Amino acid sequence: MEANNWINDVLNSSNGITKVVPDALLFSKIQNRISIQNTVSSQWIWIAAASFTILVSLNVKILLSNNTKTVAPTETIVSSVSNSNQLY
Amino acid sequence: MATNKSDFTTLYNEYSVLVYNVALNYLQSVEDAEEITQDVFLQLHKSLHKFQKKSTLKTWIYRITINKCLDFIKHKNSQKRFFIFGKKNQNELELLNISNFEHPGILLENKEKAIVLFGIINELGENQKTAFLLSKVDGLSNPEIAKIMKLSVSSVESLIFRAKTILKEKLSNKFEEYRKKK
Repeated sequence: MEANNWINDVLNSSNGITKVVPDALLFSKIQNRISIQNTVSSQWIWIAAASFTILVSLNVKILLSNNTKTVAPTETIVSSVSNSNQLY
Repeated sequence: MATNKSDFTTLYNEYSVLVYNVALNYLQSVEDAEEITQDVFLQLHKSLHKFQKKSTLKTWIYRITINKCLDFIKHKNSQKRFFIFGKKNQNELELLNISNFEHPGILLENKEKAIVLFGIINELGENQKTAFLLSKVDGLSNPEIAKIMKLSVSSVESLIFRAKTILKEKLSNKFEEYRKKK
């Protein structure tokens, strides 16, 4: 009987519980974390944009340099091979 | 930015107490509850535009908070396990989960008994703990809990019934300790 009463009292000890209000500074902490996230994300956007620009400019440079090269080295090899008809 | 500032402030004013209290009941620590509240609102800020209105906003926020709390507990337990090396048996886990949490919202005359209650709630399984806390501490109805937990009302009823049965068994074991102290 005593045990049952105690058990029921414990189980009902949350009756009448009141809601707890979080710390007033919590909202500013959240806003701070949001602004940090936004700063980080814009940084990454700039890093990604810069990397992409560098990649594109390197590709363009390589393409342009390939176009301006002459075919002379290849022709020299071909002619030397056809003269002797052997590689060594 | 996913949500504008005034919308977010309104959202915070409306739901911060709910989120904080669910986290507090679950984690039984003011610091951890604050951390989870921050995480929940960060996620809401990021993904509020993805909310599909399949459930109410309140139900969705409840789900996010409970999931964050469960992840937090799992992470905390895995850290404990990592430091002590190896998996724990049931008795050892119960010892690790012992809590002396004094809920700040509990009535003064119930404080002592509520410490015992919050201590043994941690020994329940995830779903039983969720259903019991939402029902007994948050005061939600079974249909509301069923929506949050994505279960049928009868499943929720049975979870709460089993939770109460387990708690009664554990409390009857604790009663001897209580009587000796007295």
